[in-house]
Amino acid sequence: MAATQILTQRDRLASSSARVALLLLRGRALIVLVLLVLAFSALTPLFFTANNLAILSKHVALSAILAIGMTFTILTEGIDLSVGSVAGLSGIVAGYVITNGHRGTVAAIFAAIAVALVVGLLNGFLIVRAGVAPFIATLGTLYMARGAALLSSSGRTFPNLASKSKAFAVIGQGSLLHVPIPVCLMLLLYAVAAFIASRTPLGRHIYAVGGNERAARLAGIEVSRVKVITYLASAFCAALVGIIIASQLDAAHPATGESFELNAIAAVVLGGTSLSGGRGSITGSLLGAFVIGVLADGLVMLGISEFWQIAIKGAVIVAAVAIDQFQVRLQARLLPFLLRSNPEAGA
Amino acid sequence: MRRAARTLACLAVSAVTILSFGCRREDYSRPLAFIIVPSQDNPFFKAEADAAASRAQALGYRVRVEAHDDDAYRQDNLIDSAIAQNAAILLLDNAGADSSISAVRRATKAGVPVFLIDRAIEADGIARAQIIADNAQGAAGVAKIFVQSMNGEGEYAELLGRESDTNAQIRTRGFHSILDQEPKLKMVAAQSANWSQSEAFQKTETILQSHPHLKGIIAGNDTMALGAAAAANGAGRKDLMIVGFDGSPDAVAAIQRGELKGTALQPAVLIARLAVDEADRYLRTGSTGKLERQIIPCDLVDASNAGEFRNFEYIPSAANVVATH
Repeated sequence: MAATQILTQRDRLASSSARVALLLLRGRALIVLVLLVLAFSALTPLFFTANNLAILSKHVALSAILAIGMTFTILTEGIDLSVGSVAGLSGIVAGYVITNGHRGTVAAIFAAIAVALVVGLLNGFLIVRAGVAPFIATLGTLYMARGAALLSSSGRTFPNLASKSKAFAVIGQGSLLHVPIPVCLMLLLYAVAAFIASRTPLGRHIYAVGGNERAARLAGIEVSRVKVITYLASAFCAALVGIIIASQLDAAHPATGESFELNAIAAVVLGGTSLSGGRGSITGSLLGAFVIGVLADGLVMLGISEFWQIAIKGAVIVAAVAIDQFQVRLQARLLPFLLRSNPEAGA
Repeated sequence: MRRAARTLACLAVSAVTILSFGCRREDYSRPLAFIIVPSQDNPFFKAEADAAASRAQALGYRVRVEAHDDDAYRQDNLIDSAIAQNAAILLLDNAGADSSISAVRRATKAGVPVFLIDRAIEADGIARAQIIADNAQGAAGVAKIFVQSMNGEGEYAELLGRESDTNAQIRTRGFHSILDQEPKLKMVAAQSANWSQSEAFQKTETILQSHPHLKGIIAGNDTMALGAAAAANGAGRKDLMIVGFDGSPDAVAAIQRGELKGTALQPAVLIARLAVDEADRYLRTGSTGKLERQIIPCDLVDASNAGEFRNFEYIPSAANVVATH
């Protein structure tokens, strides 16, 4: 036993360089983000301006808000594919309430969120009670929510919402101290979500459920309740996104939000959250969303064709997951070194 | 176990309820008109399908409307289903000029005459009729409206449709057949927004950042034009000249408000009715009385005549007067 405590010079070197490597790997989303911003700033002088950064953050806000709920569901080893459709449905509900219901903005927002929460509850019910795999359950609700949006609008758009309810335009188009409202909402939600994830029992339970569901159940955690909450959170985020888009476009279109779930998942994965649950962070997803957003907007500013944009986005996602796997393996291999040089790390 | 059974029972009951609401009783003695369009969530295809359906019903047909979602495989299955149900006529807005040929041939061989609307296929002599809107002429017309509102000079951006789509290519070629002749017009950005309103909104915001002197945007459809208009509005650039394509009711209303400068109406409603009439004549007389390929010109919409368009249909004011009195 005592022999393993003795550190050779080589061990010390290996452990310190390993720690540097791990640090770099863990901060990769931030590093990639900084590099991208530097590159685009160098390529076009109009990129790093207050105005453009505000608009860019506004674009990022949509997938970033979806990514919050997505992170929670993925942390429990689930996934929520229905978010894009739920966003579309919420927008339509808001548009319907304003146009046909002749109600104001507040009623529209409440109705949109309520409908989204029903879908979230259905997701939770299907997964927890009916035992349907999250991927399948939310794939089903993806189509159901899209169908509901089309049925309730007969395929039409609800246009000119702002002329019927003035305040509605503020959500997507207004700004607070030069910060667009969607960005304010995004920051607020991330603060709340990060607090929940790291400082509350619920947050610890979410990680525990994803890490080892059986162990979590044996430890007395109400696994079902935790899972349902994550799907409700995801639906809530989707509703906000739907409302923001409807407000920005001043119109609710039933096809809104198609394939948004993929951007949200990409942001979560880029942020270092493991698809097998239990490992990851909320702030990572925010960075991931920014990486995707900066890439998308920067390439548009440079005038690069859509085909390249799609291909580059795909390559970045694949690279992120590959690096994630590399990090896991490196961590496992270096664990003995890390434990030896820093005995508390293993405690 | 009991719980699972209860869940299943609930699901079964709700499924039956939904289905009984969804289905209408049909009179099976009437001939079936089978209508397949790309999607029913797009107002354009919906207007097209509705026009065909109501005309067919008026002529005494039983009607079924389906959507293939631009998926040739799904279209194949739908056409099989039309054959199996012994459809008298098949109206098809197809899923691809090449990939639809075999399905159309199969239907024709099975004795179901096919009438193609809105989009043609790359083969002659199989379908009874191919009635399409003149996208090239419409795009050139929109480009002329655009040049006029730009005063023939300045920077502009183009928002393209899904780049793999034939119509996106025909329209951009039509645009540039006019725009490229204007030496003082300069295209500073060309981006695909995949026919989508929210994507057009974001791309326009970004393009406006990199090109603050932008004066106009020409979009491959109305949905993208409306997204661009929302972005221009948000950026305090209501002076931006924006044109679209399709002639959707939302775009026509936006033209009346001055947010868009023009669009081209694809006469979807007219084409759908023509196709049903020709199909009916074919069933009664054995001939449509027309050539197979028929190209219907698009109607151009600008502020001067926007009041004469209703849900993808051009009703010139003279006819309006007659109709109201």
